[in-house]
Amino acid sequence: MQEPDHHDLSDDSDYAASQQQGLGKSTFRSDSGKFGAGGDGGVWEVVYFRENVAIHPTQYSSERISGRLRLIKQGDALFMTWIPYKAGQSGVDPARYGENSSLSEKDQNLYTIRDLPLEDVHSIRRHTPALGWQYIIVVLLSGLAYPPLYFYNSGVREFLSTIKQHAFIARSSDDANVFLVNNFQDPLQKTLSSLELHGVASIANATSHISFGSVSSNQDINRGSSSNSEYSGKPRKRIQDPARDISIQVLEKFSLVTKFARETTTQLFRESQNNGFNNYGKIQKNEDAPSKSSVAPDHKIEANIHNVPVPTDPLKNELSLIWGKPRKLPMGLEEWNIFLDPEGRIMDPVALKKRIFYGGVQNGLRKEVWKFLLGYFSYNSTYAEREYLSSVKKKNYETIKFQWQSISPDQAKMFTKFRERKGLIEKDVVRTDRSMSFYDGDENKNVELLRDVLLTYSFYNFDLGYCQGMSDFLSPILFVIEDESESFWCFAALMQRLGSNFNRDQSGMHAQLFALSKLVEILDCPLHNYLKQADCLNYFFCFRWILIQFKREFEYDQIMLLWEVLWTHYFSEHFHLYICVAILKKYRQKIIGEQMDFDTLLKFINELSCGIDLDETIRDAEALCNCAGENGEACIPPGTPPSLPIETPMMYQQDDEDDFGKSGCI
Amino acid sequence: MATAGNSNINAKLVLLGDMGAGKSSLVLRFVKGQFLEFQESTIGAAFFSQTLALSDATVKLEIWDTAGQERYHSLAPMYYRGASAAIIAYDITNTESFERAKKWVDELQKQGNPNMVTALAGNKADLEENRKVAAEEAKAYAEVNGLFFMETSAKTAVNVNDIFYEIARRLPRAQPAQNPGGMILTNTPSEIAQSSNCCS
Ligand SMILES: Nc1nc2c(ncn2[C@@H]2O[C@H](COP(=O)(O)OP(=O)(O)O)[C@@H](O)[C@H]2O)c(=O)[nH]1
Ligand SMILES: [Mg+2]
Repeated sequence: MQEPDHHDLSDDSDYAASQQQGLGKSTFRSDSGKFGAGGDGGVWEVVYFRENVAIHPTQYSSERISGRLRLIKQGDALFMTWIPYKAGQSGVDPARYGENSSLSEKDQNLYTIRDLPLEDVHSIRRHTPALGWQYIIVVLLSGLAYPPLYFYNSGVREFLSTIKQHAFIARSSDDANVFLVNNFQDPLQKTLSSLELHGVASIANATSHISFGSVSSNQDINRGSSSNSEYSGKPRKRIQDPARDISIQVLEKFSLVTKFARETTTQLFRESQNNGFNNYGKIQKNEDAPSKSSVAPDHKIEANIHNVPVPTDPLKNELSLIWGKPRKLPMGLEEWNIFLDPEGRIMDPVALKKRIFYGGVQNGLRKEVWKFLLGYFSYNSTYAEREYLSSVKKKNYETIKFQWQSISPDQAKMFTKFRERKGLIEKDVVRTDRSMSFYDGDENKNVELLRDVLLTYSFYNFDLGYCQGMSDFLSPILFVIEDESESFWCFAALMQRLGSNFNRDQSGMHAQLFALSKLVEILDCPLHNYLKQADCLNYFFCFRWILIQFKREFEYDQIMLLWEVLWTHYFSEHFHLYICVAILKKYRQKIIGEQMDFDTLLKFINELSCGIDLDETIRDAEALCNCAGENGEACIPPGTPPSLPIETPMMYQQDDEDDFGKSGCI
Repeated sequence: MATAGNSNINAKLVLLGDMGAGKSSLVLRFVKGQFLEFQESTIGAAFFSQTLALSDATVKLEIWDTAGQERYHSLAPMYYRGASAAIIAYDITNTESFERAKKWVDELQKQGNPNMVTALAGNKADLEENRKVAAEEAKAYAEVNGLFFMETSAKTAVNVNDIFYEIARRLPRAQPAQNPGGMILTNTPSEIAQSSNCCS
């Protein structure tokens, strides 16, 4: 099983050490064995095996999921498998690690990695913190990444050296902790192959490995491994595809609908669908649409429009029955006062959130209400407490602001990072919402405030720093809140939830895009299948939607409404993902009918900007959210933004602008 | 379909460069003939297409405009993979943006399609009074690195169409048999657009 070393890892001290101590082999050799297995795969072999490798979905140690990590070789192919322990299973040392996660089995299964072919892996990033456990992050060719796998019993280096013996793996020349898998001899291939679209097709498989695990070769492997305690000698039953379960449940839920009702609603739905279709002309008028139509796709659209039969929306009957409730008018002052007790506490925050979810807040009142929604004020604080808090926070803000204000020009010369950040921020604030009267004109005070708050934030959260997109978040906040210090704290509170959208490794974005793909899979399987076939499953065409919570997709007054609706977290913390699904479903006919490829789809999505009916979208999203219910939430890994962050507060290490050429761990 | 001897080329072009160099402004000028003083920053990527009628071919450029901030660098390979042309833009009033441009050149030379047609655009040429990067320096750099170089201004439109047309002219005429990005570019009759001298 030893192969000549094509890819020298001898510069890796960890690797060298493992070779010396022979750790790499002894730990798993006893478990490896050759078993004949049925099917074409032939012989398989467990070449690496490690107990107590865990995923930490949340900051709660009770929700950590321990499991067993294995590398399995079958023929020429190497597969990686990580399976969470069942309750009471061997391998766990309860005294040390506690019972396996308090998360439900369903949640745990969400993370199972089943027979992931190493072929589908782009790179493995190794983290060996001085304190705490070593962990790895496996990044797939599609750009999606699995959550970190923590090695409670160490073993990362053996893991890597084992892979090295069976597959192409090479240390990235840019980052010693990144190991590129499938790093073909041709260096040009290196990056190209990492993100080719056809790689996304394999993510589809990989994803199905995660959740379905019912590919026949898996069974071979599973049956073969029956000597492992895990399978207790029985051929393993096909793992149920949770996604499929969910759609079945959803459908069952609606099978109660009478035939009569179904026919009526189908009829209704057809009408609304047709209307939606004709309305498309409106959307094309938006600012991004090519004004001079020398561009070909327009022709193509007409030519192809009815060419491809589009599978019907699987939920179309159901959705028209559980349509989101009609939207209300925004909440005004009188109504707001009803929510307050004489000392200013909000008596029933849930009722308040519900009210805001269904209609938003009147403009003049936003200034007050947003501070609660964003978490700057707590709902049970009194007027007096809030006044006091504000004054403390104001001083606090001034102190932080002074950190950069006190930097003299001479000091700035020796402070590249400061100059860079200031430069980035200055470039962006002058092009943020300048068409609004609040921000227009030369030497606009509010533009200066944007700059000051962002620069102060980049000192307050120095690790995260400034990132393009942040000015989009701050702009409406400053417009609504007006006060500099309070805007800062509201923005900081928002970044607590959404800061990881800006992580250099894109982990926050990946988590959301992954969850979105899961939601579409259960809520519109044909659309999911189409996107899979069109190599669009990475959902990067929704990147802008999610990164800045639709800021660029709606007019200013609409975005304020949408944000307050999202910030209520009334139906779901991740309601924004249902908004994504709602919009995608609205255009499913077009997307599938015109057989949009990735480029066309990205362009189409970008051009929807300012052509989306917000109220209708919120209602659709509400219906979808209700329809998906718990199963929808199960698609969203804990810790996915905007959930409050997991783990220790500071995990970023963003290294602003100075590591050009790092082979990204996207 | 095209008449005999006339070929149809679909080419993916990617715009790279420091944030604020004027990438979006260049595309906007080229595709829509507009210039916005406060062009909003690009989030993720934007996609445009424009068809050019040259004497010997019809070239459809599929243009990817990217976000310039270093923080989003890890997404870049997704955009330049499979590209047959690139414009690397810098701002002539900003030396750091020129340094950043060189790094993009390096990266494309290492990772990109080896036959890529690459242009270096010294943008904001209208701001002569604030110039920090000498045209000669950039020109010399471009020559050494096999790029073609132009100073452009998205604001005044100087050299904007020219740089895109020059790219179109330099693209290899025979349609490459294999498509390195794995993207299948369809080539149906309806896609041959009218010529587009619309942005002058
Ligand atoms: N004077 C001048 N300003 C420009 C030119 N091109 C872009 N700009 C301005 O530079 C800023 C950044 O431009 P943008 O296209 O957004 O840069 P990007 O980040 O590279 O896409 C905007 O305020 C533009 O108006 C130019 O040729 N001349
Ligand atoms: Mg831009």
